[in-house]
Amino acid sequence: MIDLKSVKKTYLRGAEEVRALKGIDLSIARGEFVAIMGPSGSGKTTMMHMIGCLDTPSSGEITIDGTAVSTLQEPQLVEMRKRKIGFVFQQFYLIPGLSVIDNIALPLLFSRDKKDKAHIQSLMELVGLKHAAKRKPNQLSGGEMQRVAIARALVNNPKLILADEPTGNLDSENSDLIYSLFSDLHRHGLTIIMVTHNTELASRAERMVRLKDGQVVSG
Amino acid sequence: MPFLIFAFRNLLRHSVRSILTLIGIAASIGVLFSILSFNKGFEKGIAQELEQTGIHFMVVPSGCPHEVASLVLHGAIIPKYLSVDVVGKIRRLDDVELASPILVAQLPNPAKNRIDLIYGMDLQYAKQMKPSWVIDGSVPVRDDEIIVGSEIAGHDRLKTGDTVFYPDLKRSFRITGILQKTGGQDDAFIYMPVKTAQALFNKPDGATAIGVRVARPERLSAVTEELSAQVPGIQIVTMGQVLSSLMSLAASAKVMGVSLAIIAIFVSAMGVMNAILMAIFERAQEIGMMRAVGASRLDIFRIILKETILLTTAGGCAGVLLATLGSKGIEHLLRKSMPYVPSGSVVIFDPLLAVLCVGFSVLLGFLAGAFPAWKATRISPIEAIKG
Repeated sequence: MIDLKSVKKTYLRGAEEVRALKGIDLSIARGEFVAIMGPSGSGKTTMMHMIGCLDTPSSGEITIDGTAVSTLQEPQLVEMRKRKIGFVFQQFYLIPGLSVIDNIALPLLFSRDKKDKAHIQSLMELVGLKHAAKRKPNQLSGGEMQRVAIARALVNNPKLILADEPTGNLDSENSDLIYSLFSDLHRHGLTIIMVTHNTELASRAERMVRLKDGQVVSG
Repeated sequence: MPFLIFAFRNLLRHSVRSILTLIGIAASIGVLFSILSFNKGFEKGIAQELEQTGIHFMVVPSGCPHEVASLVLHGAIIPKYLSVDVVGKIRRLDDVELASPILVAQLPNPAKNRIDLIYGMDLQYAKQMKPSWVIDGSVPVRDDEIIVGSEIAGHDRLKTGDTVFYPDLKRSFRITGILQKTGGQDDAFIYMPVKTAQALFNKPDGATAIGVRVARPERLSAVTEELSAQVPGIQIVTMGQVLSSLMSLAASAKVMGVSLAIIAIFVSAMGVMNAILMAIFERAQEIGMMRAVGASRLDIFRIILKETILLTTAGGCAGVLLATLGSKGIEHLLRKSMPYVPSGSVVIFDPLLAVLCVGFSVLLGFLAGAFPAWKATRISPIEAIKG
């Protein structure tokens, strides 16, 4: 499903050259649930952005679902994000003026797909928010907001879910709930890559990959 | 959820900011619409009033042609007089159909606590000089008879056969006719034989102007040239000159007014651009998220541009609506502040003009929104979602 070969990423921070990734080789099979761990600055978020087609490597190759994405231009990268990848962020990033149902349906605005009400209803049911369809984000708890964000990530039927610290802003009860949701999705065959600092949650994943100083040190 | 509804909901999130920005646009577009509506109504009003005069040119003492235009259209008082001898000279010219001395003056009416406008003319030529007139009653034949304009008749509830008394002069005048509403300045005058007016105002030999009608309009310039050569110290102003003189005044006023409105629009457009830019900086993370979930740069551009266009279009519509609703007030203000405004409604609602002003506000939205929208497309999704 995902192949990274000698992926390097270098960028400038002011005058300083930062080598965020120093030659990553990693393969993730279809349907795997992978937790990525590592200290701050280890390159896990940068790697996540590369896999999520938000950024391209300075060198090396990335293949996602048979497509070599490292050489794609912006429109093709957008298409990949639209069709194959679902993002879940630590900060949820729900749009305050939109209801739960409209937040979930937001990616359909960009994919120009018709709003399939039954599909959205089933997603709301999946994340346990069927009762809150008309609520605005400010009427939801942190856990509920993250569940909306997960439903939003699923609305385009992606093959891959990328979650960047999805439980970072949640208490342990809600963290468990979110993790259970990812487990359910994993059981349904989705490939899940989750960046986390939470060792306990990471240990429950199918596979744990550790990064340090821009390199894979285990997994 | 289409892009437009999404853009609309984004605007609602900052409703106070959106409303304040909208008010700025509404005010400037409203001013533009009012100026253009007034100008259109003003030009139409002048043309209409000139159409109602049956004379081809006016002979007046040398002076400002704008004064003459004012005299022709609303009976201004010019403190210069022509000798009626000139009338005889004019009448002797070939192709002159009629020449009528006109004496315009003000007469205090203490009973009504106002100043009456008196228009002395050869009333036997009323039909030729004022072809659009319809008089209920008859034309005066005696020197103590008058015709009253419809506005005065309506205000004072006067009818044919009534008498109007001026205590200062210790004179009474019998109304032989009421002039039906013309929609012009004629409605506000009291008409009497020029001889009576001359005696009344102690100008036995004076005329404010002489209205002339030629038998063959194609001979107009030949007649005026001949007259200029024969009678020194006069000024001849044709109706065409009056029209162009007033139109050029209106055009100057329009240029000034529109320039001010454009400045106001520019300032409000800057306000729109600023408000949208602020919203973009506040929503950078949200924009980053949208990029991550599949929005292209063009999608982001479209959202921001639609927000701006919605804002300016709503402002433009509100401006046109408010200007239309307030047109009576605007007209009242203009009549009080301007030296001459044609009678009738001068602030005319023109649907085409309304559409053009709203169309302009759409264009404004495009121009004011293009830069912020472009700026939004440059937001790096990685930087934005990193916070």
